[in-house]
Parts: sequence; structure tokens; C-alpha cells
Amino acid sequence: MGEAMIRLEAVTKQYDGTTSPAVAGLTLDVPEGEIAVLVGPSGCGKTTTLKMINRLIEPTAGHIVVAGRRVGDMEAHELRRGIGYVIQQIGLFPHRTIAENIATVPKLLGWPRARIEERVDELIEVVHLEAELRDRYPAELSGGQRQRVGVARALAADPPVMLMDEPFGAVDPIIRSALQGQFLELQREVNKTVVLVTHDIDEAIRLGDKVAILNVGGVLEQYGPPEDVLREPANEFVAEFLGRDRGLKRLGLIPIHAVDLEPGPSLAPAATPEEARQVMARHGVDWIAVVDGTRLLGWAPDTALVGAATLGDVALRPFRTVISHDASLKEALDAVISSRSLAAAVLDGDVFLGMLTAETIGREIVQ
Amino acid sequence: MTIDWGWIADHVDDMWSTTVEHLILTVIAVTVGLVLSLVLAIVALRWRRSYAPITWVTGVLYTIPSLALFTFLVPVFGLSLLTAEVALVSYTLLILIRNIVAGVNGVPAHVIEASRGMGMTDRRIFLGVQLPLALPAIIAGVRIAAVTTIGLVTLTVLVGQGGYGVFILRGIRRQFLTEALVGTVLSVLMAVAVDVVLIVVEQWATPWSRRRAAS
Amino acid sequence: MGDAVEPAEGGVVIDFLGEVAGWFADPANWTGNRGVPNLLLAHVSLSAVAVAAAALISLPSAIYLGHVRRGGFLAVSLVNIGRALPSFGIVGVMYPVTLAFALTRSPLGYWATLIAMILLAMPPMFVNAYTAIRDVDPALTEAARGMGMREGQVVRRLELPLGLPLIMAGIRSAAVAVVATVTLGAWVGYGTLGTYIFVGFAQGDEVLIFAGGLLVAMLAVVTELGLGWVERRTDQTHHGRRRQGARPLAISDEVVATRP
Repeated sequence: MGEAMIRLEAVTKQYDGTTSPAVAGLTLDVPEGEIAVLVGPSGCGKTTTLKMINRLIEPTAGHIVVAGRRVGDMEAHELRRGIGYVIQQIGLFPHRTIAENIATVPKLLGWPRARIEERVDELIEVVHLEAELRDRYPAELSGGQRQRVGVARALAADPPVMLMDEPFGAVDPIIRSALQGQFLELQREVNKTVVLVTHDIDEAIRLGDKVAILNVGGVLEQYGPPEDVLREPANEFVAEFLGRDRGLKRLGLIPIHAVDLEPGPSLAPAATPEEARQVMARHGVDWIAVVDGTRLLGWAPDTALVGAATLGDVALRPFRTVISHDASLKEALDAVISSRSLAAAVLDGDVFLGMLTAETIGREIVQ
Repeated sequence: MTIDWGWIADHVDDMWSTTVEHLILTVIAVTVGLVLSLVLAIVALRWRRSYAPITWVTGVLYTIPSLALFTFLVPVFGLSLLTAEVALVSYTLLILIRNIVAGVNGVPAHVIEASRGMGMTDRRIFLGVQLPLALPAIIAGVRIAAVTTIGLVTLTVLVGQGGYGVFILRGIRRQFLTEALVGTVLSVLMAVAVDVVLIVVEQWATPWSRRRAAS
Repeated sequence: MGDAVEPAEGGVVIDFLGEVAGWFADPANWTGNRGVPNLLLAHVSLSAVAVAAAALISLPSAIYLGHVRRGGFLAVSLVNIGRALPSFGIVGVMYPVTLAFALTRSPLGYWATLIAMILLAMPPMFVNAYTAIRDVDPALTEAARGMGMREGQVVRRLELPLGLPLIMAGIRSAAVAVVATVTLGAWVGYGTLGTYIFVGFAQGDEVLIFAGGLLVAMLAVVTELGLGWVERRTDQTHHGRRRQGARPLAISDEVVATRP
């Protein structure tokens, strides 16, 4: 990890005429290249905190340091031109084309025209937008497309820091999941230091390198990697906020390829029904899978083996509960539960890697 | 009671020159009115509390009939262009100021928030974001102001100016229907023409408002 | 006359206003045919008749069309035409027209002015009433029908009371326009407060011109304020009227009449 790119030191915000502060003495570090997610119930000051970083809201007390400089010491406009800012309703200029929207900050910074054009085209590709949308107006785009333009616009001047306030909130869940995935891929390429605000704990867990759970009044209840927070919530509030399915959420963070797989009740086609019955007994199941080298051919129930010389002679049924090795354990568990055999076959493309059962998955939670 | 087409044919040149006079009177009034209103609107937007008094004063000016305004100005400026224009301009202020302010206030808040977050200065935001997006409302106001002004310019003949009112007044004096009708009809035609021109201007100035998403 | 401001200018203004005050103080100006009460009465009565007639003609059809939600295009066109028509022109045209249909028992200028004023008052009244009825929350009318109200009752008990402020606004703006334009009646031979202005211009009497203008202005303001007060009283929803929040005046919005 790099050193702290963003540092909040006892940051406080109290509005005139209120008895308690919106944010009370928040101290937090965001290391370079990491995504820190601020999450909490409404009134926890997460958006207020975010806006204090780029001084859309001025803190009442405390300091914020970005890239070694106190934000209070810089001219606000200058500060903001060096920070990417993405909000929920995006705020694209309706009267400017997509290209012009993306070019906003580079133009403010006085980049030469050629460089701006190049950068715009580059970004349109990076966020997976169709190149022909370049000269359209925001009203002509769908919600998901506009969201991507918002991200592109924030990245335009290549700022080291990005602030995002519920960036994926305004689209439907299917698109949101796709956008989250695209954002993670993007982050792998660009490696920005990101502070992201969300009210959705699942989004926080999925996107965050570190998750900050905030309570009402900007009180920091816990701050750490999502696996740690899920495994050991600091207190009752955090546990409540994470939800009863904390264990399942943790499973969502573990990719299958991190787990040891067993071959499960499987044999080569050359094996005899007698050998198959031994394997089935050992696993306590009434079916056998047939694997040829690394290819999963199918499965057969106990009853179908009668009269066959080898497993290769049996009429096999296709294995339906199949899952990819880069899915998470949570998806695997879901597949396992919905299968008749209570086992899922893990594949990497066509290569059979092994099987997962509810038992093997459950072992991971305990660790 | 018939229309004297011969008279019309004989006075085509008159009609042209009167048209020019009428147009000039209108353009001056609307332009000056727009400039003044922009200034006052900026004041009202910048200092919110000033909006009420500004609206009150321009509202009074709007309520007072132009004819009465003429009578207040004649002792001061005489039967002059200034008298006519001051009265005409006063009439446009309320509508223009209200529309400019409403137009600017109508710009979605998240667009403004994004602008500030990107590091735009207030001046840049006003000129580059708020004004352009307020254009439809502003032009709507200019249309109303222009059309009503064209009608009012007919009265300026009473304070010594030209315009279509000349025909109307002469038509009254001589009890000559054709002439009064010509003055009236020409005024209506100019109002319609100017309205259409402004509609076209609005379409041209706001290319983004016509495009919509395919779905 | 008076473009350069000289030190003595202030004194000239005071003197002039003094003369105007003097005119008002002169009892001769308050008696007889050319006296203020007489002309004021003529002015106001003509205005009232015109507004009433215009209301009688335009309101029922406007309310009906608004209720059935048809004729929107007509409403918009009426507004645009109404705005484009010069009031001076209408009066001017009506004069020879009424001359042709000479009704001898009444003063000639009276009918010209009256007809012109009715034409002037109709667009804003029509459009405002139409919009007022049409814009009543459809959820409310649906609920009313669902409760078993007949169409006429829906109009009388729901749409009219709710739409009243906007209808009043139309009447108010029409009334102010008429009061202002009746002044022109003086130019076509009907004695109104405009007579002072008309005669003043003819005789070059600035005091007379000013006094006339002052009277007309005050009458217009009083009409506006008075009817505005009535309008506010009719607002049964107790929300501030929408003009409190500045909404831009679209072409068919908040219709105000043209007037001199």
C-alpha cells in the first residue's frame, strides 16, 4: 500500500442552530490507490464528509490533507480541478455534447485542443461507451450510458483522487451490478485513490478495499478491509448494520479458486459399476459423476449402472449444477442449495476442477 | 362600410416607412428592456431579498397604463423618443425579470453541484451553464415582451412618434375604416412575424432541447 | 424641454407638481360634464359593463371546455392573438364600424369603445378560466365521480371553487386592461378620464395631461389591488398562489391582457 493519499484529521462539521454536529471529529486515512467506502444510515454524515474533502462544504474544525497538502490552503477551484467528482444524478450538462461534457475540466485547465480530443476518445473507450455517442446530447442516452459519461468526465484530467457520492444509485439493480463490475475493472487499470459514499452495505463490501462504518453524527464505528469487518464487527451497531447474513456476505468475498476443491464422487469412464458403488458409498450419495481426464462427461444415478460393463457404457445425464472457478463461494452455495445432488461442479472453461458441497463451503466460514 | 383597396395600393410606400419606424421603436424598447432586466435579474439572483422589492416596483410600472406613463413623462421629456421609450421599456421589465430569474432557478441543482465540484468558478457557471440553460424561459419572456411592445408602439403616435399608430389615429380622425384597419392589421402581422422569428431563434440557440433518447 | 438637469430643475418639478395639486384642488374640476366624478363614473361604468359582458360570453364556454379538456389549441391561439392585437387599433377600427351601424340614442364612441373592450377582455378571461378548470387535479375529479357526483356537480362543487383564484386572476387582469384602455374612448368621442389627456394634448396643457394620467394610473392600481384582494380571498387551498414561486411566463401561461 502507498502512504496515505487522503487524510482526515479530527474533521468536524456543525451547522448553525443545531445541537449536535453532523460530523464529529472524524479521523481516517485513505492509502494511495485504494477505494475507501463510507457507509452508514442516513444522518451519519457520510456525504457531508465527502463534500468536505473537495470543500463543497467547509469543515468547522479539523484538517483534511490530500496528497500532502491541506485542502484549506488551496484555492477551492484549483483543488476541485484536481479531484474527480461523481454524484448520483450525475449532473451532465444538458446543453453540451458528451464529448464536450467529458472535456470540461481539461478545458478549464487549459489543455491544448488536440490533447483534449485525444483524451476524450480514450476515455470513451475506457468506460466502454459506443464511439458514436460522442456528439450526442445527454438527453439521448440511457441512464447507464449517462453514468459512464459521468465517470469518464471525472477521470478526464487524470486526477489522482476521485470522490463518488452514490454513483450507481440512480440506475436499476441489473445495470448497477454491471457498472460496479466495470468500475472495479477500471480501477485495476487506473489505480485512483477513491472515496465512495453509499448506503448499500453490499456495494460497500463489493467495491471497498477498506470500509468505514459510520454512525449518526459522523462517528466512526469501524474501519478496515471488508473481510475483517465482516468477520469481527467491532460492536452491536456494526453487526446490526452488516445484517444477519454476515456470514453469507463473507462468502461473497471468497473466490472459489482460493479454496481447495475435492474431486467428489467421480470416476473415469473405464471404471466398473462395482468401483462406482464403492465411491458412492464413501461419499454417501446415490449418484456418480464421470470424468474423462479433465472433461466432465456427465453423471448417472445408482440405478442406471445395472447391467453396464464400464461407466463409459452408461447413458449419462448432463451435469446441470456447474459453476465457474472465478465465481464467489456465495454463488456456489446458492447453486449447491438449488441442485438435487447438493453438489456443484467447478469448471474453468471446459476443465473440470472439482466439486463443492454445502459441507466443504461451510468449512470456509468457520476459518 | 367597405375597404378602400385603392387607398391601400396608393400608400404602400407609407406602409414601408411606417414599418421601419415601428420596428425601430420596438427593437430599442425590447433591447434596452432586456439589458436592464438582465442586470436587475442578476441583482435579484445574487441578493435574494431584493427580488421582492424589484418585482414590486416593476409590477407597479406594469400596472400603470402606458398612456398614463406618457403623461408623467411628457412634462419632463416632452413629445420625444425618450418619453415613448421610457414608457415602453418599463412595461417589459416585469415579464423579462421574472422569466430570467425563473429560468436560471430552473436549472437542475445537480448540474450546478457537478459544475462546482469540477472546479468551475461562479462566473463561469453563470455564463456557461445557467444562462444557456435558462434560454428557453428567457426567450419565452422576450416573445411576450416583444409582442406586447409592438401593440403598445401604436400609442406612441400620441407623443409624436411614428409607427402604425399614425394610420390608426388618422383613421379615427377621418372616420376612415380602411386606414385604421391597415394600422391594426400591420401591427398584428408584425407581432406574428416577430414571434415566429423568435421561435426560430430559440430552436437555433438550443439544439439540445430537440433531441431525445431513442427508447 | 428639460433634458439638461440644472440646479433649478428641482424647483421646476416642485412647481409643476404644485400646479397639478392646484388643479385637483380646484372645485371647478369636480363639477359638470368635464368634472372628475362625471368622467370617472363614465369610465368605470363602461369598464364594468365590458368586463361583465366579456365574462358572460367567455366564462361558460371556457369552463365547459376546461372541464371536458378539449379546445386547448383554441385557448393558446386566443392568447397569442389577443396579445398581438393592439388595443388602440381595436378601438380605432371599432369606431368607423359602429359608425356604419349608427345607434343614434347612445353616444357613438360608447359602442366602439364597449365592443373593443369586450374583445380585449375575452382572451385572458377565457384562457385563465379554461386553464383553471382543466388543471384541477384529475385525481380529485376522479374521486368526486367515484363518489357519485354528476358532471354538473363536479363542476360546481369541485372545479369551480378550486379554480376560482385563477379565474379571478383572469378577470382581474382583464379588468385592469379594460380600465386602462377605456381611456382611449376619449379619442373616439366618448368622455372618460382619458378626456383630460386628449384635451391636454390638444391644448398643450401639461398640467391637464398629467392630472389625467394620474387619475387613470390610480384607477388602474386600485382595480389591480382591489381585485387582487378578492382573488386572494377566493383561494380555498390556502397555499400561496403559484406566482409566489417565480415560474417563467410561458406563452400560454398566466395570461395578462394587452393594454395601453
